[in-house]
Amino acid sequence: MKVSYNWLKEFIDLPLSPAETADKLTLIGLEEEESFEYGSSLPGVVVGEVLEAKQHPNADRLKVCQVNLGDETVQIVCGAPNVAAGQKVPVAKVGSTLPIKLDDGSFLKLKKAKLRGETSQGMICAEDELGLGTDHDGIMVLDENLTPGTPVSEIFDLYTDHIIDIAITPNRPDATCHLGVARDLAAALNLELKKPEVSLSKTVTESDDIKVSIENTEKCHRFVGKMIKGVEIKESPKWLQDKLMAIGSRPVNNVVDVTNYVMFELGQPLHAYDYDEIRGKEITVKDFETVVEFETLDHVKRKCAPGTLFICDGESPVGIAGVMGGLYSEVSDKTTNIFLEGAYFDPGTVRKTAKAETLQTDASYRFERGIDPNLQALAVERAAALIQQVAGGELSDDIIDIHPVKTEKRTLTLRKSYLNRLLGTNLSINEAIEIMDGLELEVVEKTEESVTYSIPTFRPDLEREVDLIEEVGRLYDYNKIEAPSHGIFVSTETFSPWELLMEQIRTIGVELGYREIYTNSLISEKEASHFGELDEMVTTLNPLTADMTTLRPSLLHGVLKAAAYNFNRQAGGIRFFETGNVFSQSQDFSYHEGIKEQTHVLFGLSGLRKKEHWTSKPVAYSIFDLKTDINAFFVKLGLGKSLSFKESDGKLDVFLRKNLLGTIESVSKELRKTYDIAQDVFVAEFSINAIHSALQKQKDFKYTSIPKFPPFDFDFAVIVDKTISAGTLMDAIKNKAGNNLQKLDIFDVFEGESIGSDKKSLAFRLNFIDPNKTLNIKEVEPIINRIVKALEKQFGAQLRG
Amino acid sequence: MIDQIKDLTNEIQSYAVSTKDELESFRLEFLSRNGRVQSMFKNLGSVPKEERGMVGKAMNEAKLLAQSKFDDLKSKLESSDQQVKAAIDDITLPAPEPIIGSLHPLTQTLAEMKNIFYRLGFTISDGPEVEDDFHNFTALNFPPNHPARDEQDTFFVRKSDDPNMMDLVLRTHTSPVQIRLMENTKPPIRSIMPGRVYRNEAVSPKSYFLFHQVEALYVDENVSVADLKETLITFVKLMYGSNVKYRLRPGFFPFTEPSLEMDIWWGSEKDGKWLEILGSGMVDPNVFKAAGVDPEKYTGFAWGMGVERISILKYGIDDIRTFYENDIRFLEQFN
Repeated sequence: MKVSYNWLKEFIDLPLSPAETADKLTLIGLEEEESFEYGSSLPGVVVGEVLEAKQHPNADRLKVCQVNLGDETVQIVCGAPNVAAGQKVPVAKVGSTLPIKLDDGSFLKLKKAKLRGETSQGMICAEDELGLGTDHDGIMVLDENLTPGTPVSEIFDLYTDHIIDIAITPNRPDATCHLGVARDLAAALNLELKKPEVSLSKTVTESDDIKVSIENTEKCHRFVGKMIKGVEIKESPKWLQDKLMAIGSRPVNNVVDVTNYVMFELGQPLHAYDYDEIRGKEITVKDFETVVEFETLDHVKRKCAPGTLFICDGESPVGIAGVMGGLYSEVSDKTTNIFLEGAYFDPGTVRKTAKAETLQTDASYRFERGIDPNLQALAVERAAALIQQVAGGELSDDIIDIHPVKTEKRTLTLRKSYLNRLLGTNLSINEAIEIMDGLELEVVEKTEESVTYSIPTFRPDLEREVDLIEEVGRLYDYNKIEAPSHGIFVSTETFSPWELLMEQIRTIGVELGYREIYTNSLISEKEASHFGELDEMVTTLNPLTADMTTLRPSLLHGVLKAAAYNFNRQAGGIRFFETGNVFSQSQDFSYHEGIKEQTHVLFGLSGLRKKEHWTSKPVAYSIFDLKTDINAFFVKLGLGKSLSFKESDGKLDVFLRKNLLGTIESVSKELRKTYDIAQDVFVAEFSINAIHSALQKQKDFKYTSIPKFPPFDFDFAVIVDKTISAGTLMDAIKNKAGNNLQKLDIFDVFEGESIGSDKKSLAFRLNFIDPNKTLNIKEVEPIINRIVKALEKQFGAQLRG
Repeated sequence: MIDQIKDLTNEIQSYAVSTKDELESFRLEFLSRNGRVQSMFKNLGSVPKEERGMVGKAMNEAKLLAQSKFDDLKSKLESSDQQVKAAIDDITLPAPEPIIGSLHPLTQTLAEMKNIFYRLGFTISDGPEVEDDFHNFTALNFPPNHPARDEQDTFFVRKSDDPNMMDLVLRTHTSPVQIRLMENTKPPIRSIMPGRVYRNEAVSPKSYFLFHQVEALYVDENVSVADLKETLITFVKLMYGSNVKYRLRPGFFPFTEPSLEMDIWWGSEKDGKWLEILGSGMVDPNVFKAAGVDPEKYTGFAWGMGVERISILKYGIDDIRTFYENDIRFLEQFN
């Protein structure tokens, strides 16, 4: 909200400069967002007499003028079509600053210049360049009797102000007006608050002029109205226009301007009706069970939802309560009689309507925060008196006040003990009262230990004891509360195994040479469809765009997107890992019924492992690079020994004992195509939740003594059908090899016509160690025979000679 | 005889060798079968018996000298041979690029913050990203018609008219973890809760529909604003240096009362400005009640900050979307 420094000074004798005021407002919770000067007193702009205006030798549209500025005559190049010798004109002298904002936020400063070869010392100004109007058709021509050299500030009534734009938090409806801001400053600075004087007239519930009723009293707690007859609608006087324009409110006419003025002054939105256009001479506040079509003042035809609250005359709605009036019964040039409305509408109702209509007005802004429910009569009287002042007319003797729901002041008690315990201060009750003095809280009862206040109704936010403590805190200034010079010394708790695991996984990722990525967890439905059944996924019901409809069921999308992004930018290879949450619908839920949320880790390789280099030809990543890293990953986690792999659907499932941890795969060509990735992509994705529970069951690591006896290696090769996988054979070998088998590897894979086109040869190396003795061929041979026999039997394997 | 041996020794020592040919001449001169050393030994027979031991010893020394000089020169000449290197033995050739792993800048910023919190005695807690209405809003003292509950700010995952079925949302802050923690832990509680949060907002250089937060919670019997201040001040000093200029001002959050915001001075004394870096406050009694903590017995403070925001400030990143594009040229800058 824009706050005028001049306006504040009408209520308090402010000893602070505008900048200091802005800082103080920030420190009491009304944060300055921006400050600026309004208007200019135009220093350095004087009356000049054009002595001569000659055509510029090098430019058709420019004239070279000799201008008498009183104490000197200067040459000025001017582009205005209407400049002529003999005119008295406003001249901005070299060194003066004009209220024209430049791109960098500063104002135009006049310098000596050369325009197409002709010196120009200053500028002859148009109306808009001086901030005196909007006209830019030509330069301003002044009264010919003016003396050259006279500052223009002596001719024009120039209005200047300092505007502080403050952010108002939702709990401070009282600060949405100048009086409220002034009250806060008065309280913080110990100043006296001078409120505008208003005389209240007799309140009635019925009047001969108009009948007012409220049908929905839950949504409208109060309706106050007053008649003003015989007004003259015209432009507002300058003082009123200046004050409104300074805070960015466009003047309309004297009556509307006054209603706005009082809203900015006291915080009560008001509405003026053309009385003669009110049909049936009755006003009803009500809502409808059906959709109502209504055209608002901004010429938008709206279909308002059932339940929208309207102000209606005898025939139809004339305004959306608290948001915006309608075209009908608007105050116009022809209006002579006015009915002035000041009401209290339920904040929730106004907020809902303003939101539904996407129509935030100065009125709705205040109503939805909650205005003072006891302000209406005062504000209407204040406005009526001002209207009479600027538009003439006669005020009705009484004021209609329909007030079905009355808000009583609440009382609140502040305990010294709680105050000091929460703030860490050592304040007495009297000091607390002193600090809050000026907020217009009324002391009802006071002891050494506590004080009970009656809370004014313009502070709906003060509901509980803590709210009062906040008032003490902010007015005292949190920066003044003394903090202990050092913290308490605490004994920390251990980190959870989960947190340690997450840290460890990221560390291993880096150690293995992978770069961590962060990708979106909300993806489009189309993207998600590649990763499973859409109806098993978790979706958002109200995404802003179709790009964020579905919670990722896997981390795969993210790495593919990142790979494509980088390959499109000439990256050679990618080596990424990510940890993050994935979501699915499942009865096996995590926190909320039906929703399974798991944390995954993904490793991805694609493109070149080695670029072309003098040491090597380019080498692309293979699935075995990834398998190596995944082995290393589990070794580092302490799970290397218990791991097993199972092929299914061309993918490799990774098991820890019986538990599936995740999958290693080469991304299908079709999927890569949808991401426009030409390179092979290899990914391994694991559930950290599964790893976590596997680790919980893992026994603590203990050192095993180094074998005292040498190992014994035995190599043999078999020929099998190509359909039989190496993994299957290795499983079978392990099955038969006994406990002394330490390592099993394949050191040669061969295929060729010599062994038959549907056959392959695999050469195994078995490494045996016996902890108790040196092994020799005699002990190993029977084992090998057992293995070969099993392979022959199960897979038709043939031992190679 | 001894003099002859001395002369021979001197000659061996002073014999200049700088090429392989000269080395061969040296060998022929001194060490060959008919060389001078061997010839010298032939004269040993004519040495009187009583001197033979001494002379023999001197001869042996001369022989050893010649041999070791030959060996040294030989290996020296051979190694200098290698100065004519193969092209690939040029150690100025560039090495293959190293494979370097790295943590994402957001992880790095978060780690820096975590480490400070750990020094301040905070532990760490975790919770789900899909959260129910109670934990995300109601328990945090958001009134039923609070703007934050609006569809425009919150992603809904489940909305149901069934009163037994709670609405589910993507958490809009990590504060629900505070509620979960208080529900399950008897104070004192001193923990941080980092994590991913969501806002249903349009994507721009300044805003993204997901981001990361760290919140901190401290609940005990006598926690005050003064304690909060002490922690905040210590935090910004550890994060931004002991000379950091800061200020506290009132703020507003539904879940704290009073609420405070902290600004730090960013930039030079003259051209800098106040930048908001965190929001904080004393845990609202309504939040305590919702989480089953007695507000008359316990007080506490909570505060939170955005990881992206801190990272953007720290590294001068001008577009929040950069964090989620994962351009290698970006990631490589954060080794």
